[in-house]
Order: sequence, then C-alpha cells, then structure tokens
Amino acid sequence: MSPLVLFHLAALLLLAFGLYGLTNRRTLVGMLISVELMLNGAGLALVASARLTPASDELGQLGALLVMGLAAAEATLVLAMVLVAVKRAGTSDSDRLAQLKG
Amino acid sequence: MDALALIAYGFYLALILAGGVAAVRCRSLVRALLGLILALFGVAGMYFLMAAPFMALMQILIYVGAVTVLIFFAIMLTRPTQGKAGEEDGTPRTARRAGLALLTGLLPAGILGLIVTVRAPQALPLKPELPLERLGQFLTGPYVLGFELISVVLLAAMAGAVVLGFERRKGA
Repeated sequence: MSPLVLFHLAALLLLAFGLYGLTNRRTLVGMLISVELMLNGAGLALVASARLTPASDELGQLGALLVMGLAAAEATLVLAMVLVAVKRAGTSDSDRLAQLKG
Repeated sequence: MDALALIAYGFYLALILAGGVAAVRCRSLVRALLGLILALFGVAGMYFLMAAPFMALMQILIYVGAVTVLIFFAIMLTRPTQGKAGEEDGTPRTARRAGLALLTGLLPAGILGLIVTVRAPQALPLKPELPLERLGQFLTGPYVLGFELISVVLLAAMAGAVVLGFERRKGA
C-alpha cells in the first residue's frame, strides 16, 4: 500500500469514529466532539492528497488551514447554541430536546 | 515508506485509534475530550510525517490549544439540573439503535475505503517541504479573498455567539 492510501485510511478511520459518535452520543457536547473528529479527518485527507499527488501543495495546505479556521468558528457558535438550548430545556440530552417551541 | 516511517505511522495510528475510541465511547465527557486531544495529537504527528510541520503546529495551536478549551467550557456550563456535569446518561441503547449507529459509522467509511484502496492513484514520492513564504505569498496573492472571507466568518461567528449569550442572560 502506498503512503497516500495509508494516510487516507487513517482519515477514513476518523470519519467512521465521528459518524458513529454523532449518532450514538446522547449529549450535544458529545456530538460536538465527534464533529471535531470528522473535521480532522477531512483536514488529514486534504493535506495527504496535496503532499503525495501532483495536485497543488499550497492549495491543499491552505484548504486544510481553512478547515481549521472554520472548525474554530463552528465550535464557538455551537458552544453558544448549546448554552441557549440548556438554558431553555434544562438538559443537553439530544433525545429530550424534541420540542421546537416549549 | 521506509521502516522507520512505518513505525512512526503505526504509533500515530494507534494514538488516533485509542483517542477515537475514548472520544466516542467514554461516558464521562471529560474523558471523551481527553480522547479527542489524543487523536488530535495523532493527526498532528501524521502532518509531521508527511513533512508539513506548519500544518502540524497549527493543528496543535488551534485544535489542542483553542477548540478543546472551548469544548471544556461547554462541558462545564451544561451541567444538567440533576446529576453531575459532563456525565452522560448511562442507560444502554437498544440493540437496534446501537447497530444502526455502528452501520452509520462503518458504511460510508467502508465504501470510501474500498474506493481509495482499489482505485489508488500512482504513488508519488513526497514533495520537498513547502517553504512558509510560499504559503504566505499564496494567501496574500491569488487567494486573498478567501483569506479575508475567513476572517469575516470568524467575526460573524463571534458576534453570533455574543448575541446568543446576551439573549440567554435576558431570559434569566
């Protein structure tokens, strides 16, 4: 197996963990942790493709940096949204957050 | 890859595996967060392995330094009315739900993994390390719009978080 395939398989491992956690976790914060795992897998696959194929190296690394920046923005916003949800519903359990207007 | 690189790859993969399992399986959210940090360090090691040290340092700086602290705050501030902070409900899932979650995780990754392995492009040797000036030139030259837009996105996210926080306090 070439290094490219190995790195891509590691990225897919992160994707699998993230998807499993996203569906299996009960709390919103646990789901946020899973999303971060998935975003990391995306960044890893991007950089691996940029480094080990004829694609543009700069573009791949900048794309992964963009993913990191977006992940930081997303984490900030999700934190505020989770706080509002907990304030209104008294729980961050995704099974019990079933009402749109309570 | 030579033998030493393969050993390093195996070590980082083990870090990612252990961290990922802890991140999705631990009942305590703080332990899950520690698992996430472990997995993030594993990914940073893989960046080092493919001679992209800038990406690895950014990974440690942004993810391990900033994002995990935010998640820690989220754990601390979302204490349920009864029960301890950062503790998930321990009642086991029904077998059907657990099986579906496993399927959701494995199916897309499995299909993509099959495609990646079967249709792998011709392996290229690792390119020489990209100098940092080159990245800077790219960012301020042809991709200056994206560079500016990401700062706008960050500003909007921060303003949104502040607005949501104010709304929360008014209701109290």
